[in-house]
Parts: sequence; structure tokens; C-alpha cells
Amino acid sequence: MTEAEAIRLAQQGDAKAFERIYSLHSRRVYALCLRMVGNPAEAEDLAQDAFLQLFRKIATFRGESAFSTWLHRLAVNVVLMKLRKKKLAETSIEETNDPDDESSGPRRELGGPDLLLSGSIDRVHLERAIGQLPPGYKQVFMLHDIQGFEHNEIAGLMSCSIGNSKSQLHKARMRLRELLQESLRDQARRDRQAAKTETAGSN
Amino acid sequence: MQCNQFERILEQQDTAAPLPGPALAHIAICEGCRALTADLDAIRKAAMGLDAEGIAPPEHIWISLRNQLEAEGIIHEPNSDVAAAAAPGIGWWSVLQRPALAGAFLALILAAATSISYLGNSTQMAVHPQFVFTQQTSVVPTADNVFKEELLSVDNVSGPEFRRLDTAVTDSIHRNLGIVDNLIVLCEKSVREQPGNAMAREYLYGAYQQKAELLATAMDHGTMGGLQ
Repeated sequence: MTEAEAIRLAQQGDAKAFERIYSLHSRRVYALCLRMVGNPAEAEDLAQDAFLQLFRKIATFRGESAFSTWLHRLAVNVVLMKLRKKKLAETSIEETNDPDDESSGPRRELGGPDLLLSGSIDRVHLERAIGQLPPGYKQVFMLHDIQGFEHNEIAGLMSCSIGNSKSQLHKARMRLRELLQESLRDQARRDRQAAKTETAGSN
Repeated sequence: MQCNQFERILEQQDTAAPLPGPALAHIAICEGCRALTADLDAIRKAAMGLDAEGIAPPEHIWISLRNQLEAEGIIHEPNSDVAAAAAPGIGWWSVLQRPALAGAFLALILAAATSISYLGNSTQMAVHPQFVFTQQTSVVPTADNVFKEELLSVDNVSGPEFRRLDTAVTDSIHRNLGIVDNLIVLCEKSVREQPGNAMAREYLYGAYQQKAELLATAMDHGTMGGLQ
């Protein structure tokens, strides 16, 4: 069953069509919720809520926009609403909770080329680093770099200016860079330690 | 251009747009800003990959979502059994695919054929009206009883699977059974009154078939209570 057929049948209440739509999009929606809230139980509730709202409204979908865009916008709204309710959004988008934020220029690592991240970012490290971002950074980074929303859309969703959205994204990327570099350094340190232990053991 | 000016440009730059000339000139001579640009690009590309992969949600989300949607009446399972019962012939193949039901069905058809054949011949044999009446009242219920016995044996074999309750379907089946039973009574009457009427026999035969299908449907839904 294609997505278009599934949508048409779901608009008539067909159970199989709903299941098909869910199976097509649940991974992305759940991932979005999980990354945004960082808690599996809450993410499950949010994903369910997003799909519930989607299915309640599916009869009104007329196909003017891509279905996945519609769904993801809806899911983002559900998550942001939840975050606002939890008062996480009391931390305004300007605010970052980032202890070493602001005003300094680009941080220069003295390690030189060996700290270049290109080719060394794996999914696990990146996910972990995203999880450590302050909420405001995380939301904009998720929406822009992971979900693919434009700055004007993010500004609409988060009730902020386009400039703010750009600024938050840049800061988020800078913070991620630091976190990933730290993680690379830790890894290198552990490798050296392991090699030293191995050498000591063989002597 | 200074490094902090370069970063401000980077900050307000749309990701897809190319860097302006002065910024390009700067990174050509500044290793730090070149590394920064490369790192941010690597982070952006790695992040794009995260969305494509997604994360599989636990299965119970769909189950509870589905329950909620059913409770709200947003989704409905197409009820093929009731539809089949309403349209004779459609559900035959599914009935005959199940050996136990096929056996029960065969028993009913044989009993029905015997009954019709007997009723058809009864006028030739019926010298004593009282004899005819006794046969009529005994033969037809016997066909019904044979089938019920078959159904009960199948029900015992299949156990709990048949015991699910679905009120809407149960009501529908019982309503349809009532209609078919009335039809059978009318058809039997017609066959008795006009033994030579092939159409009346055909209707009676069809009514038995419909009843067989309905009983099969009832077994599927565990709604045999009212028939036992």
C-alpha cells in the first residue's frame, strides 16, 4: 500500500491504512520526541499523542503539502507544547544554561589538525553530545539540522526571530564541536592508557 | 577580516548559501577558521544522517494508539464475516477452507437435502395427513440438530479462541439468524404446500446455506451462547 493510498483509506477509517501510516513515520516521530525530551517514557507519550492528533485530523488533509511535512510539524508542535507546559521553555530561547556561553569568539583548540571532526563523528557520540546540549540549543539544532526545518519555520514554531534561530543554531553547533572534541580526546586518552597497560603487561 | 568577524558571518549565514568573498579569503589564510568551518559542516552532515535512521518505537505505542482510536470511533476494522453473511456466497470459500466447519457444513447440506427430498416425496406417500405432519416436524429439526451437534463438537475442539465477545457482531449475527430462520420456516411451508415447485426447494436450500454461513460466523466470534 503506497502512502497516498494509505492516506485515502485512513480518511475513510480503514484500520490497516492507519497502521501503514504509523509504520512509515513512527521511527522519525519517535526519534524526534526522544531527542527533544531525552526521556523514553515521555517520548512514547509524545509520539502517541502526535499520532493521535494526526489521525484525528487526517480527514482534513487535502494534500496541499507533503504529508510527512504536515506530520512532522504536528509532532514538533506537540513536543514544544509539552516542553512549554513543563516550563522547560521558561528558559527562553535567548537563555542557554550554558556555563561557558556568550561573547567569546570562536574557541580555538590548540590541538591542531588532529582534532578535526570530519570523518570521526559516529552516531553514538553525536547522540550523546546532542543530549548534553542546553534545551534552547537542542531544540533549534534538532529542528534545523536533523528535521530539516528552515529558520523562518523554526521562528514560527518557537515564537522567536529568524536571527535568534540562526544564532541558537550556530551556538549549538559550536557546543557540539566542543563536546565531540572532548569525547575524541577522552577516547584517545583511554586508547593510550590501554596501550600502556598492554605494554606493561607484556614486559 | 578578524576571526570573530568571520564567526559572526558564519552565525548569520544560511547553511546552504556560499560564504561571501571576504570570508573565503579569511579561511584561505586562517587554519583555525578553516578547521572550524570543516567541523561544523561535518556535524551538520552527521546530524542529517540521524533523521534518516530514526529510532524504532516500542510496539506497545501502536497497540495503545489503536485502542484509543477504536474507542474514539476513528478507525474501524472491516467486518468481513458480517458482510459475508449479508451477501450469500461471498464467504463460502473461507468456510470451506476450515476442515471442521466444512464437515459441519457438509452435514447440514446432507441433512437439508434429505429433508427437502423427503418433503418433496411426502405428497406421493402422504395418504394419512397425520403421518406427513409427524415427518415434517421430525425431519427438519433433525437437520438443525445434526448441524448444531457438529458445531458444538467444533466449538469444544477450538476452545477459548471462539469465546471472544463482540457485542455488535453478536447482535448482527443473531438478528440475521432470526431472519434466516423465518425464511426457512416460510420455505418449508412452501415446499410442503407445493412439493413440485423447484423454486421453493431452491429457496429452502439457499436458506439452509445462509444459516450454515451464519452459524460458521457465530463460531468465529464465539457467539454460540444463544444457539446452544
